[in-house]
Amino acid sequence: MVDTKRVCCQPERGLVLRDVTLTAGSTCVLRDASLTVPLSGMTLLSGRNGAGKSTLLRAMLGLVPLQGGEILTHGLPPAQARQHIGYMPQSVTDAALLLPAVSHVRAAVDGLRWGLPLRLRPRREEADRLLALTGASAFAHRPLGLLSGGERQRVGLAQALAGNPDLLLLDEPLAALDHAGQEQTVRLLGDLTARLGIGIVLTSHETEALAGVVTRVMQLADGGLHVRV
Amino acid sequence: MFEFDFMRHAFVGAAVVSVLAGTVGWFLMLRRQAFAAHALSHIGFSGAAGAVWLGFPPLSGMVVFSLMAGFVIGAEREGERGVPAQRDSTIGLVLAASLGLGAWFLHMSNRGSSLATTLLFGDVLGIDLRTLEALCGVAVLCLGLLAFLGRRLLFASLAPEVARARGVPARLVSVVFMAVAALACAACAEVAGALLAFSLMIGPAATALKLGLGPLAGIALSVGLALGLSWGGLMLSWVTDAPVPFWIGLGAALSYALADLWRRFRSL
Ligand SMILES: Nc1ncnc2c1ncn2[C@@H]1O[C@H](COP(=O)(O)OP(=O)(O)OP(=O)(O)O)[C@@H](O)[C@H]1O
Ligand SMILES: [Mg+2]
Repeated sequence: MVDTKRVCCQPERGLVLRDVTLTAGSTCVLRDASLTVPLSGMTLLSGRNGAGKSTLLRAMLGLVPLQGGEILTHGLPPAQARQHIGYMPQSVTDAALLLPAVSHVRAAVDGLRWGLPLRLRPRREEADRLLALTGASAFAHRPLGLLSGGERQRVGLAQALAGNPDLLLLDEPLAALDHAGQEQTVRLLGDLTARLGIGIVLTSHETEALAGVVTRVMQLADGGLHVRV
Repeated sequence: MFEFDFMRHAFVGAAVVSVLAGTVGWFLMLRRQAFAAHALSHIGFSGAAGAVWLGFPPLSGMVVFSLMAGFVIGAEREGERGVPAQRDSTIGLVLAASLGLGAWFLHMSNRGSSLATTLLFGDVLGIDLRTLEALCGVAVLCLGLLAFLGRRLLFASLAPEVARARGVPARLVSVVFMAVAALACAACAEVAGALLAFSLMIGPAATALKLGLGPLAGIALSVGLALGLSWGGLMLSWVTDAPVPFWIGLGAALSYALADLWRRFRSL
Protein backbone atom coordinates (compact mmCIF):
# COMPACT_ATOMS: atom_id res chain seq x y z
CA MET A 1 0.00 0.00 0.00
CA VAL A 2 1.20 3.47 -0.80
CA ASP A 3 0.38 6.11 1.77
CA THR A 4 -0.82 8.97 -0.39
CA LYS A 5 -0.32 11.77 2.13
CA ARG A 6 3.18 10.74 3.12
CA VAL A 7 4.36 10.23 -0.43
CA CYS A 8 3.01 13.59 -1.50
CA CYS A 9 5.31 15.38 0.90
CA GLN A 10 8.45 13.53 -0.10
CA PRO A 11 11.04 15.12 -2.34
CA GLU A 12 9.79 12.81 -5.10
CA ARG A 13 7.22 15.44 -5.97
CA GLY A 14 7.32 15.74 -9.71
CA LEU A 15 7.70 13.29 -12.54
CA VAL A 16 9.93 10.25 -12.12
CA LEU A 17 10.73 7.86 -14.96
CA ARG A 18 12.62 4.66 -14.10
CA ASP A 19 13.98 2.67 -17.06
CA VAL A 20 10.84 3.41 -19.03
CA THR A 21 10.33 1.74 -22.38
CA LEU A 22 7.24 2.97 -24.20
CA THR A 23 6.17 2.16 -27.74
CA ALA A 24 3.16 3.24 -29.76
CA GLY A 25 2.44 0.99 -32.69
CA SER A 26 5.82 0.58 -34.34
CA THR A 27 7.20 3.87 -32.98
CA CYS A 28 9.58 3.71 -30.04
CA VAL A 29 8.76 6.72 -27.86
CA LEU A 30 11.07 6.01 -24.93
CA ARG A 31 13.88 3.46 -24.60
CA ASP A 32 15.15 2.75 -21.07
CA ALA A 33 14.63 6.38 -20.14
CA SER A 34 15.26 7.51 -16.56
CA LEU A 35 14.63 11.02 -15.35
CA THR A 36 13.44 13.06 -12.39
CA VAL A 37 11.89 16.44 -13.02
CA PRO A 38 9.79 18.77 -10.87
CA LEU A 39 6.40 19.69 -12.28
CA SER A 40 5.77 23.01 -10.58
CA GLY A 41 4.89 25.91 -12.82
CA MET A 42 4.54 25.26 -16.52
CA THR A 43 6.38 22.47 -18.30
CA LEU A 44 6.47 22.33 -22.07
CA LEU A 45 6.73 18.86 -23.58
CA SER A 46 8.13 19.37 -27.04
CA GLY A 47 9.10 17.14 -29.92
CA ARG A 48 8.38 16.83 -33.60
CA ASN A 49 5.09 15.45 -34.97
CA GLY A 50 4.85 11.78 -34.12
CA ALA A 51 7.61 11.87 -31.49
CA GLY A 52 5.15 10.46 -28.95
CA LYS A 53 4.15 13.44 -26.83
CA SER A 54 0.49 12.49 -26.68
CA THR A 55 1.46 8.88 -25.98
CA LEU A 56 3.69 9.91 -23.07
CA LEU A 57 0.90 12.00 -21.51
CA ARG A 58 -1.48 9.07 -21.89
CA ALA A 59 1.08 6.76 -20.29
CA MET A 60 1.26 9.09 -17.26
CA LEU A 61 -2.50 8.55 -16.92
CA GLY A 62 -2.30 4.79 -17.36
CA LEU A 63 -4.23 4.91 -20.63
CA VAL A 64 -1.46 3.09 -22.51
CA PRO A 65 0.70 0.38 -20.97
CA LEU A 66 4.47 0.66 -20.58
CA GLN A 67 6.66 -1.98 -22.13
CA GLY A 68 9.03 -1.69 -19.20
CA GLY A 69 9.96 0.40 -16.15
CA GLU A 70 7.66 2.67 -14.19
CA ILE A 71 6.33 6.22 -14.26
CA LEU A 72 5.57 7.98 -10.99
CA THR A 73 3.76 11.29 -10.83
CA HIS A 74 4.14 13.00 -7.48
CA GLY A 75 5.36 9.65 -6.19
CA LEU A 76 2.28 7.74 -7.32
CA PRO A 77 1.76 5.19 -10.09
CA PRO A 78 -0.73 6.21 -12.81
CA ALA A 79 -3.78 4.48 -11.33
CA GLN A 80 -3.49 6.58 -8.17
CA ALA A 81 -1.84 9.66 -9.60
CA ARG A 82 -4.72 10.30 -11.98
CA GLN A 83 -6.99 11.20 -9.08
CA HIS A 84 -4.94 14.38 -8.81
CA ILE A 85 -4.51 14.98 -12.53
CA GLY A 86 -6.75 16.84 -14.97
CA TYR A 87 -6.45 15.89 -18.64
CA MET A 88 -7.38 17.61 -21.88
CA PRO A 89 -6.93 15.36 -24.92
CA GLN A 90 -5.49 16.62 -28.20
CA SER A 91 -8.81 16.45 -29.99
CA VAL A 92 -11.45 17.86 -27.70
CA THR A 93 -14.46 15.56 -27.65
CA ASP A 94 -16.70 15.35 -30.69
CA ALA A 95 -19.33 13.33 -28.85
CA ALA A 96 -22.78 14.73 -28.08
CA LEU A 97 -22.32 18.02 -29.86
CA LEU A 98 -25.98 18.91 -29.42
CA LEU A 99 -25.75 19.12 -25.65
CA PRO A 100 -25.01 22.53 -24.11
CA ALA A 101 -21.38 23.05 -23.09
CA VAL A 102 -22.36 23.40 -19.46
CA SER A 103 -23.74 19.85 -19.45
CA HIS A 104 -20.36 18.57 -20.54
CA VAL A 105 -18.67 20.29 -17.63
CA ARG A 106 -21.32 19.22 -15.11
CA ALA A 107 -20.90 15.62 -16.23
CA ALA A 108 -17.19 15.88 -15.52
CA VAL A 109 -17.74 17.43 -12.08
CA ASP A 110 -19.43 14.38 -10.56
CA GLY A 111 -18.77 11.81 -13.25
CA LEU A 112 -16.86 9.55 -10.88
CA ARG A 113 -19.81 8.84 -8.60
CA TRP A 114 -22.15 5.89 -8.80
CA GLY A 115 -25.87 6.40 -8.32
CA LEU A 116 -28.01 9.48 -8.70
CA PRO A 117 -27.13 12.86 -7.20
CA LEU A 118 -29.14 13.82 -4.14
CA ARG A 119 -28.70 17.52 -4.69
CA LEU A 120 -28.01 19.19 -8.01
CA ARG A 121 -27.06 22.62 -6.73
CA PRO A 122 -23.43 21.93 -5.68
CA ARG A 123 -22.65 20.38 -9.04
CA ARG A 124 -24.18 23.31 -10.93
CA GLU A 125 -22.28 25.84 -8.86
CA GLU A 126 -19.01 24.00 -9.32
CA ALA A 127 -19.52 23.80 -13.10
CA ASP A 128 -20.33 27.50 -13.25
CA ARG A 129 -17.21 28.28 -11.23
CA LEU A 130 -15.01 26.27 -13.60
CA LEU A 131 -16.56 27.86 -16.67
CA ALA A 132 -16.01 31.32 -15.19
CA LEU A 133 -12.42 30.41 -14.36
CA THR A 134 -11.67 29.53 -17.98
CA GLY A 135 -13.66 32.44 -19.38
CA ALA A 136 -16.33 30.23 -20.93
CA SER A 137 -19.41 31.49 -19.08
CA ALA A 138 -20.63 33.58 -21.99
CA PHE A 139 -21.24 30.62 -24.28
CA ALA A 140 -21.81 27.91 -21.67
CA HIS A 141 -25.44 27.37 -22.62
CA ARG A 142 -24.88 27.00 -26.35
CA PRO A 143 -24.60 23.51 -27.85
CA LEU A 144 -20.97 22.38 -27.88
CA GLY A 145 -21.13 21.75 -31.62
CA LEU A 146 -21.88 25.39 -32.35
CA LEU A 147 -18.80 26.68 -30.52
CA SER A 148 -15.60 27.69 -32.27
CA GLY A 149 -12.42 25.67 -31.81
CA GLY A 150 -11.06 28.12 -29.27
CA GLU A 151 -14.32 28.25 -27.32
CA ARG A 152 -14.45 24.48 -27.22
CA GLN A 153 -10.95 24.40 -25.86
CA ARG A 154 -12.03 26.58 -22.95
CA VAL A 155 -14.82 24.14 -22.23
CA GLY A 156 -12.29 21.29 -22.41
CA LEU A 157 -10.09 23.15 -19.97
CA ALA A 158 -13.01 23.59 -17.57
CA GLN A 159 -13.62 19.85 -17.87
CA ALA A 160 -9.99 19.12 -17.08
CA LEU A 161 -10.20 21.32 -13.97
CA ALA A 162 -13.11 19.29 -12.57
CA GLY A 163 -12.16 17.36 -9.47
CA ASN A 164 -9.67 20.00 -8.27
CA PRO A 165 -6.52 18.49 -9.78
CA ASP A 166 -3.11 19.76 -8.72
CA LEU A 167 -1.60 18.87 -12.07
CA LEU A 168 -2.98 19.50 -15.56
CA LEU A 169 -1.89 17.55 -18.63
CA LEU A 170 -2.91 19.57 -21.67
CA ASP A 171 -2.38 18.11 -25.12
CA GLU A 172 -1.97 20.92 -27.66
CA PRO A 173 -4.07 23.56 -25.89
CA LEU A 174 -2.84 26.21 -28.33
CA ALA A 175 -3.65 24.40 -31.56
CA ALA A 176 -6.67 25.80 -33.42
CA LEU A 177 -6.20 29.22 -31.83
CA ASP A 178 -5.33 32.44 -33.61
CA HIS A 179 -2.61 34.73 -32.29
CA ALA A 180 -4.90 36.61 -29.91
CA GLY A 181 -6.48 33.36 -28.74
CA GLN A 182 -3.08 31.89 -28.01
CA GLU A 183 -2.08 34.91 -25.97
CA GLN A 184 -5.32 34.72 -24.01
CA THR A 185 -4.89 31.04 -23.28
CA VAL A 186 -1.25 31.44 -22.28
CA ARG A 187 -2.28 34.21 -19.89
CA LEU A 188 -5.06 32.00 -18.52
CA LEU A 189 -2.68 29.09 -17.97
CA GLY A 190 -0.11 31.35 -16.31
CA ASP A 191 -2.88 32.60 -14.07
CA LEU A 192 -3.87 29.05 -13.09
CA THR A 193 -0.32 28.17 -12.08
CA ALA A 194 0.15 31.40 -10.18
CA ARG A 195 -3.23 31.71 -8.46
CA LEU A 196 -4.17 28.09 -7.83
CA GLY A 197 -0.68 26.64 -7.63
CA ILE A 198 -1.55 24.05 -10.26
CA GLY A 199 1.32 22.49 -12.17
CA ILE A 200 0.80 22.32 -15.92
CA VAL A 201 2.41 20.02 -18.47
CA LEU A 202 1.49 20.97 -22.00
CA THR A 203 2.50 19.93 -25.47
CA SER A 204 2.71 22.55 -28.17
CA HIS A 205 4.52 23.52 -31.31
CA GLU A 206 3.99 27.22 -30.53
CA THR A 207 7.31 27.80 -28.80
CA GLU A 208 7.14 31.51 -29.57
CA ALA A 209 3.82 32.13 -27.87
CA LEU A 210 5.10 30.26 -24.81
CA ALA A 211 8.52 31.89 -24.55
CA GLY A 212 8.92 33.55 -21.17
CA VAL A 213 6.06 31.73 -19.43
CA VAL A 214 7.26 28.13 -19.37
CA THR A 215 9.37 27.07 -16.42
CA ARG A 216 11.15 24.24 -18.24
CA VAL A 217 11.13 22.34 -21.50
CA MET A 218 11.12 18.55 -21.80
CA GLN A 219 12.37 17.52 -25.21
CA LEU A 220 11.24 14.15 -26.53
CA ALA A 221 13.56 12.81 -29.23
CA ASP A 222 15.21 9.56 -30.32
CA GLY A 223 13.76 7.47 -27.49
CA GLY A 224 14.99 9.83 -24.79
CA LEU A 225 13.61 12.69 -22.73
CA HIS A 226 15.82 15.67 -21.96
CA VAL A 227 15.11 18.62 -19.71
CA ARG A 228 16.13 22.20 -20.33
CA VAL A 229 15.39 24.92 -17.81
CA MET B 1 -62.36 1.79 -24.24
CA PHE B 2 -61.10 1.16 -20.71
CA GLU B 3 -63.89 -1.25 -19.89
CA PHE B 4 -61.83 -4.00 -21.51
CA ASP B 5 -59.08 -5.79 -19.61
CA PHE B 6 -56.88 -6.03 -22.69
CA MET B 7 -57.09 -2.26 -23.22
CA ARG B 8 -56.09 -1.54 -19.62
CA HIS B 9 -53.20 -3.97 -19.91
CA ALA B 10 -52.16 -2.36 -23.16
CA PHE B 11 -52.11 1.12 -21.63
CA VAL B 12 -50.15 0.04 -18.56
CA GLY B 13 -47.72 -1.98 -20.67
CA ALA B 14 -47.22 0.91 -23.06
CA ALA B 15 -46.55 3.25 -20.14
CA VAL B 16 -43.93 0.98 -18.60
CA VAL B 17 -42.21 0.47 -21.92
CA SER B 18 -42.31 4.18 -22.76
CA VAL B 19 -40.56 5.22 -19.57
CA LEU B 20 -37.90 2.63 -20.28
CA ALA B 21 -37.54 3.43 -23.97
CA GLY B 22 -37.38 7.18 -23.40
CA THR B 23 -34.60 6.87 -20.86
CA VAL B 24 -32.48 4.16 -22.46
CA GLY B 25 -33.06 5.64 -25.90
CA TRP B 26 -31.71 9.01 -24.77
CA PHE B 27 -28.41 7.44 -23.75
CA LEU B 28 -28.30 5.32 -26.91
CA MET B 29 -28.72 8.38 -29.11
CA LEU B 30 -26.25 10.35 -27.02
CA ARG B 31 -23.69 7.60 -27.62
CA ARG B 32 -24.66 7.45 -31.29
CA GLN B 33 -25.69 3.83 -31.05
CA ALA B 34 -28.93 4.02 -32.99
CA PHE B 35 -27.75 1.12 -35.11
CA ALA B 36 -27.26 -0.95 -31.97
CA ALA B 37 -30.85 -0.24 -30.90
CA HIS B 38 -32.07 -1.24 -34.33
CA ALA B 39 -30.01 -4.43 -34.33
CA LEU B 40 -30.86 -5.44 -30.77
CA SER B 41 -34.59 -5.40 -31.38
CA HIS B 42 -34.24 -7.41 -34.59
CA ILE B 43 -32.01 -9.86 -32.80
CA GLY B 44 -34.74 -10.14 -30.18
CA PHE B 45 -37.07 -11.19 -32.97
CA SER B 46 -34.90 -14.22 -33.73
CA GLY B 47 -34.80 -15.09 -30.05
CA ALA B 48 -38.56 -14.89 -29.83
CA ALA B 49 -38.95 -17.17 -32.83
CA GLY B 50 -36.57 -19.64 -31.20
CA ALA B 51 -38.49 -19.50 -27.93
CA VAL B 52 -41.78 -20.21 -29.66
CA TRP B 53 -40.23 -23.14 -31.47
CA LEU B 54 -39.02 -24.58 -28.14
CA GLY B 55 -42.33 -23.81 -26.42
CA PHE B 56 -41.30 -20.87 -24.24
CA PRO B 57 -42.93 -17.43 -24.10
CA PRO B 58 -41.54 -15.10 -26.84
CA LEU B 59 -40.40 -12.46 -24.33
CA SER B 60 -38.00 -14.91 -22.68
CA GLY B 61 -36.37 -15.68 -26.03
CA MET B 62 -36.11 -12.01 -26.88
CA VAL B 63 -34.45 -11.24 -23.55
CA VAL B 64 -31.94 -14.08 -23.83
CA PHE B 65 -31.00 -13.34 -27.43
CA SER B 66 -30.70 -9.59 -27.16
CA LEU B 67 -28.77 -9.91 -23.89
CA MET B 68 -26.21 -12.17 -25.53
CA ALA B 69 -25.93 -9.81 -28.49
CA GLY B 70 -25.70 -6.86 -26.10
CA PHE B 71 -22.71 -8.41 -24.37
CA VAL B 72 -20.95 -9.09 -27.65
CA ILE B 73 -21.60 -5.56 -28.93
CA GLY B 74 -20.75 -3.86 -25.63
CA ALA B 75 -17.53 -5.81 -25.16
CA GLU B 76 -16.21 -4.48 -28.45
CA ARG B 77 -12.80 -3.05 -27.71
CA GLU B 78 -12.71 0.70 -27.67
CA GLY B 79 -10.52 1.94 -30.50
CA GLU B 80 -7.07 3.05 -29.44
CA ARG B 81 -7.97 6.66 -28.79
CA GLY B 82 -11.53 6.31 -27.68
CA VAL B 83 -12.76 5.85 -31.23
CA PRO B 84 -15.13 2.92 -31.42
CA ALA B 85 -13.08 1.23 -34.07
CA GLN B 86 -15.24 -1.42 -35.70
CA ARG B 87 -18.46 -1.20 -33.75
CA ASP B 88 -20.78 -0.92 -36.73
CA SER B 89 -19.23 -3.92 -38.43
CA THR B 90 -19.55 -6.02 -35.29
CA ILE B 91 -23.19 -5.04 -34.86
CA GLY B 92 -23.95 -5.72 -38.50
CA LEU B 93 -22.45 -9.19 -38.40
CA VAL B 94 -24.09 -10.14 -35.10
CA LEU B 95 -27.37 -8.96 -36.62
CA ALA B 96 -26.87 -10.95 -39.82
CA ALA B 97 -26.01 -14.13 -37.95
CA SER B 98 -28.99 -13.92 -35.63
CA LEU B 99 -31.47 -13.06 -38.37
CA GLY B 100 -30.23 -16.15 -40.15
CA LEU B 101 -30.91 -18.16 -37.01
CA GLY B 102 -34.31 -16.50 -36.76
CA ALA B 103 -35.24 -17.65 -40.24
CA TRP B 104 -34.26 -21.17 -39.26
CA PHE B 105 -36.33 -21.03 -36.05
CA LEU B 106 -39.37 -19.78 -37.98
CA HIS B 107 -38.94 -22.58 -40.44
CA MET B 108 -38.69 -25.18 -37.66
CA SER B 109 -41.64 -23.90 -35.66
CA ASN B 110 -43.91 -24.51 -38.64
CA ARG B 111 -45.92 -21.40 -37.96
CA GLY B 112 -43.92 -19.28 -40.31
CA SER B 113 -45.80 -16.27 -41.49
CA SER B 114 -48.46 -15.74 -38.82
CA LEU B 115 -45.87 -15.97 -36.06
CA ALA B 116 -43.50 -13.71 -37.94
CA THR B 117 -46.18 -11.06 -38.32
CA THR B 118 -46.98 -11.07 -34.60
CA LEU B 119 -43.34 -10.85 -33.63
CA LEU B 120 -42.42 -8.22 -36.19
CA PHE B 121 -45.35 -5.92 -35.57
CA GLY B 122 -46.02 -6.68 -31.93
CA ASP B 123 -49.27 -7.48 -30.26
CA VAL B 124 -49.84 -4.82 -27.68
CA LEU B 125 -53.51 -5.71 -27.37
CA GLY B 126 -52.57 -9.28 -26.52
CA ILE B 127 -50.55 -8.46 -23.40
CA ASP B 128 -51.67 -10.63 -20.51
CA LEU B 129 -51.07 -10.11 -16.81
CA ARG B 130 -48.01 -12.37 -16.73
CA THR B 131 -46.36 -10.48 -19.57
CA LEU B 132 -47.19 -7.24 -17.80
CA GLU B 133 -45.45 -8.45 -14.66
CA ALA B 134 -42.44 -9.50 -16.69
CA LEU B 135 -42.34 -6.08 -18.39
CA CYS B 136 -42.46 -4.33 -15.02
CA GLY B 137 -39.65 -6.54 -13.72
CA VAL B 138 -37.48 -5.75 -16.73
CA ALA B 139 -38.22 -2.04 -16.42
CA VAL B 140 -37.38 -1.87 -12.72
CA LEU B 141 -34.15 -3.77 -13.29
CA CYS B 142 -33.10 -1.59 -16.22
CA LEU B 143 -33.96 1.73 -14.61
CA GLY B 144 -32.24 0.64 -11.40
CA LEU B 145 -29.06 -0.27 -13.23
CA LEU B 146 -29.22 2.94 -15.24
CA ALA B 147 -29.67 5.03 -12.10
CA PHE B 148 -26.69 3.31 -10.52
CA LEU B 149 -24.58 3.76 -13.65
CA GLY B 150 -25.98 7.17 -14.55
CA ARG B 151 -23.28 9.70 -13.81
CA ARG B 152 -20.37 7.56 -14.94
CA LEU B 153 -22.23 6.59 -18.08
CA LEU B 154 -22.94 10.24 -18.83
CA PHE B 155 -19.33 11.23 -18.25
CA ALA B 156 -18.02 8.34 -20.37
CA SER B 157 -20.48 9.21 -23.14
CA LEU B 158 -19.74 12.94 -23.23
CA ALA B 159 -15.96 12.86 -22.82
CA PRO B 160 -14.73 9.27 -23.21
CA GLU B 161 -11.04 10.08 -23.08
CA VAL B 162 -11.27 12.37 -20.09
CA ALA B 163 -13.47 9.91 -18.23
CA ARG B 164 -11.01 7.08 -18.81
CA ALA B 165 -8.18 9.31 -17.69
CA ARG B 166 -10.02 9.98 -14.43
CA GLY B 167 -10.49 6.24 -13.88
CA VAL B 168 -14.01 5.53 -15.12
CA PRO B 169 -14.06 1.84 -16.13
CA ALA B 170 -15.29 2.64 -19.64
CA ARG B 171 -15.44 -0.93 -20.89
CA LEU B 172 -17.46 -2.17 -17.91
CA VAL B 173 -19.82 0.78 -18.15
CA SER B 174 -20.26 0.15 -21.85
CA VAL B 175 -21.02 -3.57 -21.41
CA VAL B 176 -23.52 -3.04 -18.60
CA PHE B 177 -25.23 -0.29 -20.58
CA MET B 178 -25.52 -2.51 -23.65
CA ALA B 179 -27.08 -5.22 -21.50
CA VAL B 180 -29.59 -2.66 -20.22
CA ALA B 181 -30.27 -1.54 -23.78
CA ALA B 182 -30.79 -5.14 -24.88
CA LEU B 183 -33.35 -5.73 -22.13
CA ALA B 184 -35.10 -2.48 -22.97
CA CYS B 185 -35.24 -3.38 -26.66
CA ALA B 186 -36.79 -6.74 -25.84
CA ALA B 187 -39.40 -5.03 -23.68
CA CYS B 188 -40.17 -2.48 -26.41
CA ALA B 189 -40.51 -5.20 -29.02
CA GLU B 190 -43.23 -6.73 -26.89
CA VAL B 191 -45.33 -3.61 -27.39
CA ALA B 192 -44.30 -2.12 -30.71
CA GLY B 193 -42.99 -5.25 -32.42
CA ALA B 194 -39.43 -6.07 -33.41
CA LEU B 195 -39.61 -3.95 -36.56
CA LEU B 196 -40.68 -0.79 -34.80
CA ALA B 197 -39.38 -1.28 -31.26
CA PHE B 198 -36.56 1.05 -31.90
CA SER B 199 -38.85 3.80 -33.17
CA LEU B 200 -39.98 4.22 -29.57
CA MET B 201 -36.35 4.40 -28.43
CA ILE B 202 -34.98 6.57 -31.18
CA GLY B 203 -37.75 9.00 -32.11
CA PRO B 204 -38.37 10.68 -28.74
CA ALA B 205 -34.68 10.67 -27.77
CA ALA B 206 -33.56 12.11 -31.09
CA THR B 207 -36.16 14.84 -30.75
CA ALA B 208 -34.98 15.74 -27.24
CA LEU B 209 -31.35 15.86 -28.36
CA LYS B 210 -32.23 17.90 -31.43
CA LEU B 211 -33.68 20.57 -29.18
CA GLY B 212 -30.33 20.90 -27.41
CA LEU B 213 -31.68 20.10 -23.94
CA GLY B 214 -29.41 19.06 -21.08
CA PRO B 215 -29.59 15.54 -19.61
CA LEU B 216 -32.41 16.00 -17.09
CA ALA B 217 -34.72 17.99 -19.33
CA GLY B 218 -33.77 15.83 -22.30
CA ILE B 219 -34.63 12.54 -20.59
CA ALA B 220 -37.85 14.01 -19.20
CA LEU B 221 -38.97 15.18 -22.64
CA SER B 222 -37.91 11.91 -24.21
CA VAL B 223 -39.98 9.90 -21.72
CA GLY B 224 -42.93 12.27 -22.14
CA LEU B 225 -42.83 11.97 -25.91
CA ALA B 226 -42.54 8.18 -25.77
CA LEU B 227 -45.60 8.10 -23.52
CA GLY B 228 -47.45 10.43 -25.87
CA LEU B 229 -46.52 8.30 -28.88
CA SER B 230 -47.49 4.94 -27.44
CA TRP B 231 -50.68 6.10 -25.72
CA GLY B 232 -51.59 8.23 -28.69
CA GLY B 233 -50.95 5.24 -30.92
CA LEU B 234 -53.23 3.08 -28.80
CA MET B 235 -56.06 5.61 -28.86
CA LEU B 236 -55.73 6.33 -32.55
CA SER B 237 -55.72 2.67 -33.44
CA TRP B 238 -58.85 2.28 -31.30
CA VAL B 239 -60.58 5.04 -33.21
CA THR B 240 -59.21 4.25 -36.65
CA ASP B 241 -58.39 0.76 -37.81
CA ALA B 242 -54.68 1.23 -38.36
CA PRO B 243 -52.31 -0.86 -36.18
CA VAL B 244 -50.55 0.72 -33.19
CA PRO B 245 -47.00 0.50 -34.62
CA PHE B 246 -48.15 2.48 -37.65
CA TRP B 247 -49.06 5.44 -35.46
CA ILE B 248 -45.97 5.10 -33.29
CA GLY B 249 -43.61 5.05 -36.26
CA LEU B 250 -45.36 7.93 -37.95
CA GLY B 251 -45.51 9.97 -34.74
CA ALA B 252 -41.80 9.43 -34.04
CA ALA B 253 -40.80 10.75 -37.44
CA LEU B 254 -43.25 13.62 -37.15
CA SER B 255 -42.00 14.76 -33.73
CA TYR B 256 -38.44 14.73 -34.99
CA ALA B 257 -39.39 16.76 -38.05
CA LEU B 258 -41.18 19.28 -35.83
CA ALA B 259 -38.15 19.61 -33.57
CA ASP B 260 -35.99 20.17 -36.61
CA LEU B 261 -38.34 22.87 -37.90
CA TRP B 262 -38.40 24.51 -34.47
CA ARG B 263 -34.61 24.68 -34.40
CA ARG B 264 -34.46 26.18 -37.87
CA PHE B 265 -37.15 28.66 -36.95
CA ARG B 266 -35.28 29.64 -33.78
CA SER B 267 -31.99 30.14 -35.58
CA LEU B 268 -33.48 32.41 -38.24
N1 LIG C 1 -2.50 3.15 -31.21
C1 LIG C 1 -1.51 3.34 -32.06
N2 LIG C 1 -1.21 2.40 -32.98
C2 LIG C 1 -0.19 2.56 -33.83
N3 LIG C 1 0.58 3.63 -33.84
C3 LIG C 1 0.34 4.60 -32.96
C4 LIG C 1 -0.72 4.52 -32.02
N4 LIG C 1 -0.72 5.62 -31.27
C5 LIG C 1 0.28 6.37 -31.73
N5 LIG C 1 0.93 5.77 -32.74
C6 LIG C 1 2.09 6.29 -33.46
O1 LIG C 1 3.03 6.68 -32.48
C7 LIG C 1 3.65 7.88 -32.84
C8 LIG C 1 3.51 8.89 -31.73
O2 LIG C 1 2.18 9.36 -31.68
P1 LIG C 1 1.76 10.58 -30.77
O3 LIG C 1 0.35 10.91 -31.06
O4 LIG C 1 2.12 10.29 -29.37
O5 LIG C 1 2.72 11.74 -31.35
P2 LIG C 1 2.76 13.27 -30.97
O6 LIG C 1 4.15 13.56 -30.55
O7 LIG C 1 1.70 13.60 -30.00
O8 LIG C 1 2.48 13.94 -32.36
P3 LIG C 1 1.74 15.34 -32.70
O9 LIG C 1 2.73 16.42 -32.51
O10 LIG C 1 1.36 15.20 -34.14
O11 LIG C 1 0.56 15.46 -31.81
C9 LIG C 1 3.04 8.30 -34.16
O12 LIG C 1 3.93 7.91 -35.19
C10 LIG C 1 1.77 7.52 -34.25
O13 LIG C 1 1.46 7.20 -35.57
MG1 LIG D 1 0.01 14.68 -30.06
